[in-house]
Amino acid sequence: MAMTLTLRVWRQAGPDQPGRLVDYVAHDVHPDMSFLEMLDVVNDDLIRKGDDPIAFDSDCREGICGSCGLVINGVAHGPDPGATTCQVHMRRFAAGDTIVIEPFRARAFPVLKDLVIDRSALDRIIAAGGYVSVNAGGAPDANCLPIPKHVSDQAMDSAQCIGCGACVASCKNAAAHLFTSAKVTHLALLPQGQPERARRVVRMVEQMDEEGFGACSNEGECEAVCPKEISISNIARMNREYLKATLAGE
Amino acid sequence: MPSQLVHALSSSVGSKILIALTGLGLAVFLVTHLAGNILFLFGPETFNTYSHTLLSNPLVYVAEAGLLVIFLLHVVKTLVLFFGAQQARPQGYHARRWAKTKSPRSRKSVASTTMIVTGLFTLLFLVTHLGTFKFGTYYESATGMRDLYRLQLEIFSHPGYVAFYMIAMALIFLHLWHGLTSAAQSLGVDHPQWTPRILAAGRVLAVVLAGGFFLLPLYTFLLARAS
Repeated sequence: MAMTLTLRVWRQAGPDQPGRLVDYVAHDVHPDMSFLEMLDVVNDDLIRKGDDPIAFDSDCREGICGSCGLVINGVAHGPDPGATTCQVHMRRFAAGDTIVIEPFRARAFPVLKDLVIDRSALDRIIAAGGYVSVNAGGAPDANCLPIPKHVSDQAMDSAQCIGCGACVASCKNAAAHLFTSAKVTHLALLPQGQPERARRVVRMVEQMDEEGFGACSNEGECEAVCPKEISISNIARMNREYLKATLAGE
Repeated sequence: MPSQLVHALSSSVGSKILIALTGLGLAVFLVTHLAGNILFLFGPETFNTYSHTLLSNPLVYVAEAGLLVIFLLHVVKTLVLFFGAQQARPQGYHARRWAKTKSPRSRKSVASTTMIVTGLFTLLFLVTHLGTFKFGTYYESATGMRDLYRLQLEIFSHPGYVAFYMIAMALIFLHLWHGLTSAAQSLGVDHPQWTPRILAAGRVLAVVLAGGFFLLPLYTFLLARAS
């Protein structure tokens, strides 16, 4: 059954413009619509009326690309655990609800327009060390590099990070420790990541600080909103790696 | 200290490591402080002899200087990170809910959100506490030692002091509840089997430490009333 909802959406014309919350009424919202499809319908309406549509990011719409990311009623990626914004469906809301929609907030994530933010700070953290310098070649023969199953499982759990930035958005300090630590961990656990292991963690932490993210309070709000449910154990590992690397004089 | 190490300890990760180390140092002090204060239960002779032995050891000045440095490092580092966090999100959210409402994976609690408040209160408490006891009235016992037993009995015969200490201990309890477990995470101590036990141990220690210091003024008050 179609619902009518009130949306309270952050509208901001450009990076240096002041923004504000604007109310819209969303008619004919079907419970089976995804959250972004609902916004598409609202935007169709706005375009027909000659208004500026609400700008928001999205790409794959199947929870894997990390493009979408909205703070819905005060929670990054909305009410469903282990899900991105595009995986939230309107059946999670009731007719007559008011939904507050805001962009991810952090100094390091400047708003470009409405709900679209610039997340390139995360790319620069990766560029500072989140890679393996040598060309690892094609897929190696199975078992030519023995990696214990539980280690490869841990590395793959960390490698699930899609870089959406929800961890930053939900952290009271706007810290990027979960993102950075996931990247540090997945390479630190695998043989290909060993040669640059110490240098990587130091450089990535330095870049993270330079971008203006905050520090970690170990609350785990990041883990609670992470669409890939990446654990803050990664942050403990990053701290351990950092401590070892700096004590070794890296 | 090599400048490289100072640089490393200035980063967000290094700062948290330092905060964790200094916090744990202060917790170790609290353990020894509580162990010493429990001797109050054994009467004036035992308590005064303990405090006299402790304070007449010249090494106590070194320990006190060390504690002061640890305390100041802990306070300064946390304040720097606190103000840094304010700058990291200049524009806040209009609607804000704990992500804990979405998933129990979050460890956020009243204790974790009030660390700066409970910490600053502890600073205020410490100044009062030192003024009352360490630099408080000097009574001499019959054996020529400082009669701290009498001072404690006198101070905690005032209900106002007892109430203040009990409120302070409740707030310090909150600080320890998050701090003791958070320190392990900051130091990178984490293991699938051990982390739940470390979290539990940290919380038990918080209850024991704050509980002990919560009950001592109450016990002293009742003792003063009874005599």
